[in-house]
Amino acid sequence: MTGGSSKSGGRGPSLSPLPHAVVPPSRPLRPSRYVPVSAATFFLVGSTTLFFCFTCPWLSERFSVAVPIYNGVIFLFVLANFCMATFMDPGIFPRAEEDEDKEDDFRAPLYKTVEIRGIQVRMKWCSTCRFYRPPRCSHCSVCDNCVEDFDHHCPWVNNCIGRRNYRYFFLFLLSLTAHIMAVFGFGLLFILYHRQNIDRLHAIVTLAVMCVAGLFFIPVAGLTGFHIVLVARGRTTNEQVTGKFRGGVNPFTNGCWKNVSHVLCSSQAPRYLGRKKCVQSVFVQPPFLRPQLTEAQLAAKILDNGIQGDLHRSKSSLEMMESQSCDAEPPPPPKPELRYPGITRGNTEDCSLLNKAPPTPTMYKYRPTYSPSKNHTAFTHAYANQLSRGESVGSARDSSSSTSSLLQASQQPGFRSQPSLDQRDASSDQGGEEGGGERREGAREVAGGGIPGYSLGGRSYPSFSDPTVLAGVASRSSSSMHTSAGAAQVSEATTTSASFKSLANQTPPPHHPSRNGSLSYDSLLAGGDDFDKEVVAGSGVPEVSAGRPCTPAVGYSSPFLSSQQRDPEMPSLSSQSPHHHHRTAYHHPFLHRSSSSSTSSSPPPPPERERLLAEPHAGAHALPAGQTAGSLSSSAQPPPHHHHHHHHHHHHSHHHHHHSSSTSRPPRFTGPHAPPHHAYPYRTRSTDTPLGSSSTSTTHPSRSPYPPPLGKSLSYSSAAAAEMQYRLVRKASASAGANAAGVGGGGGSGGMVGGGIQTPKFPG
Amino acid sequence: MAETHSLQDMRPQAAVAAKVFIQRDYTNGTVCQFQTKFPSELETRIDKQQFEETVRMLNNLYAEAEKLGSQSYIEGCLACLTAYTVFLCMETHYEKILKKIAKYIQEQNDKIYAPRGLLLTDPIERGLRVIEVTIFEDRSLTR
Repeated sequence: MTGGSSKSGGRGPSLSPLPHAVVPPSRPLRPSRYVPVSAATFFLVGSTTLFFCFTCPWLSERFSVAVPIYNGVIFLFVLANFCMATFMDPGIFPRAEEDEDKEDDFRAPLYKTVEIRGIQVRMKWCSTCRFYRPPRCSHCSVCDNCVEDFDHHCPWVNNCIGRRNYRYFFLFLLSLTAHIMAVFGFGLLFILYHRQNIDRLHAIVTLAVMCVAGLFFIPVAGLTGFHIVLVARGRTTNEQVTGKFRGGVNPFTNGCWKNVSHVLCSSQAPRYLGRKKCVQSVFVQPPFLRPQLTEAQLAAKILDNGIQGDLHRSKSSLEMMESQSCDAEPPPPPKPELRYPGITRGNTEDCSLLNKAPPTPTMYKYRPTYSPSKNHTAFTHAYANQLSRGESVGSARDSSSSTSSLLQASQQPGFRSQPSLDQRDASSDQGGEEGGGERREGAREVAGGGIPGYSLGGRSYPSFSDPTVLAGVASRSSSSMHTSAGAAQVSEATTTSASFKSLANQTPPPHHPSRNGSLSYDSLLAGGDDFDKEVVAGSGVPEVSAGRPCTPAVGYSSPFLSSQQRDPEMPSLSSQSPHHHHRTAYHHPFLHRSSSSSTSSSPPPPPERERLLAEPHAGAHALPAGQTAGSLSSSAQPPPHHHHHHHHHHHHSHHHHHHSSSTSRPPRFTGPHAPPHHAYPYRTRSTDTPLGSSSTSTTHPSRSPYPPPLGKSLSYSSAAAAEMQYRLVRKASASAGANAAGVGGGGGSGGMVGGGIQTPKFPG
Repeated sequence: MAETHSLQDMRPQAAVAAKVFIQRDYTNGTVCQFQTKFPSELETRIDKQQFEETVRMLNNLYAEAEKLGSQSYIEGCLACLTAYTVFLCMETHYEKILKKIAKYIQEQNDKIYAPRGLLLTDPIERGLRVIEVTIFEDRSLTR
């Protein structure tokens, strides 16, 4: 696929290496790539030279000197455009840096939808370049680069035709057609005047040149006509041949005249590779300024308990979001917070003021701060398209606000009723509870599910009250809710995860037992992977109720934790208390909490929890089948009934889990990521094989409620197992996302476009 | 070239705490525009207005760069006539605007973002896909 040396990263005058420090390994020289361009060059230059040498002298004498001049000018034009098309960087995107794709981890969706002039366009994740391809961008397999406004890979110039050099390619075609016509025409004129002495060398050469010209004229003229139509319609070759806009509307067209003028008259687009790196001369050092809160703002925040403010904020941001397409939200960097443990603690003060929740830097960070962006990001990352749709956000928001009161109501009793089984010292107390409740509500606004769920669970998490809340939230919101719920639970149960750290610290002791008891459903409700990370981190410090810097990794955000973040924490988990393991295990398919499940030591959940568990599980139903298997595995002994329902599984598994020591953690439980109808493939880190993997992973759950190789899933090194889990999630979310994309896209056209706009399969 | 460093410079720079990526806004097609939505991570660091103003200004500059105006037209004609050799000596309109943008970002960093522990990265370095905002750790508030 890739041929030639250093063909990637652009060619042409800017033959500069890729912007990365690492020089890509040189690819093997592929001479076959150069055959067409060599042939084209040979024929073009050779024929024209012969024409000038044999035909033109007579023509200039016989008719006018303008003939060779005219031909010369045209030929020069042809050559110039040919060289520009061949050597110019078509608009290659530099590979994304490591930092950028951190949030797009294994579990990130393969596609992100964006709305362009009312039409849903899918942006595919490019596993090579590590970013979501902008609209009209495609990855050329020959050049191994993502090219902006990718048209096609032209073998005759041995270069991709993209945004930067399409104009030159188009002009090359036009001028070549003119040149061929001129050569053929003048050659014919020569022959007509030399019919008598046709056996002369000049005539023979002219005849040969005419033949070559005539042969090439038909394909070249055909291609020229084709591109004239494309330019007029504002389409690329890629879009035309893949039939993207066959029945639908092209969102990129501005009308014939504007399209033509854009191609011919726009300023030369800049190249992205090989730019002079500007040296950042700015020196950043604390202390830093902080935005000032006005008195009114402060008062409002304190008085309204964050609910009103959150509602207003979320609503306005929701509108904004819908107009801008959720997928285009900036990815939340929860993981950056996790990644940088020494993250700012400054949030603490802000949190208390702004969040009306106990100062929990992580919570604050995860909360979309009164804007749905966080939600969407979380959704997007967790379940992509479907979540990005406004409705899910809206529903999440509604549910969150409605459940917040419910939560509050049930909060108090919930707390007390749970016997504390957690060995973790409950650093938080009643104050924490209040704060937790508040936070929960506040968080709910934000994440509409993901985060709020998380915050709920994390705080003083009354086992039975949470499921209620979560159930309401989860059932309405996307799987992200689940994730957050799960996260919340996880965070509650385990202070391990960084994000949950702060939560755990504030969780009152009574929650511990509930946590243990409700391990099964906690783990079920919590999102899988994310929590894993969180859990891992948390479990590392189970006994240390406080002290761990609140990493931004809200349980919800854990999916975005970089693997590096995850790994160091993982080993610590094995030594954690059972329930910690339990939690983390189910969260993270990779978690190898080989530690004995904590269930053995935890008492069975109280009956109320059972009841309440049913609700969240209903929401958890949305979880892809794969998750069921995964989550169930957490209980280690997958009772046969686990197959049936997620929540049932949870119940039973938890019970069983409690009663028996399970060596296998439920790492499979990826949490309620997406509704089952999501068949959204998620992208793996290294390869773009979502469909294949997702299909395989889908079959997985059917086999057993728990992933058979529990040990494997537990092992940190079995990335494949984790990947499978994620695939299930992604698949579910992807299908849902696809559905949502089809539905959400401007009505029928949107649906068509959604279906039509596939990842370009152009054999670049 | 000998470089002198003030004692101030010798102090280590703040550690990077997080990175926020402002994505492109594709609602109007492939025109270069960035989302003006205020990311939540920056809530505690900078005013919403200030940030949105910066992004809006950047959007305006990019719109000006991609504008199909007389300058770009003349530039195109000239390039055609000289067989594109003019590109060897003259800077294109887009590049001129990019320089302006780089200067603007530098100035914003110096005046507004660095004092708040933030740093904007020129999006051209990321292929005009994202604006990278680096959030620096605020050690003064670390517990």
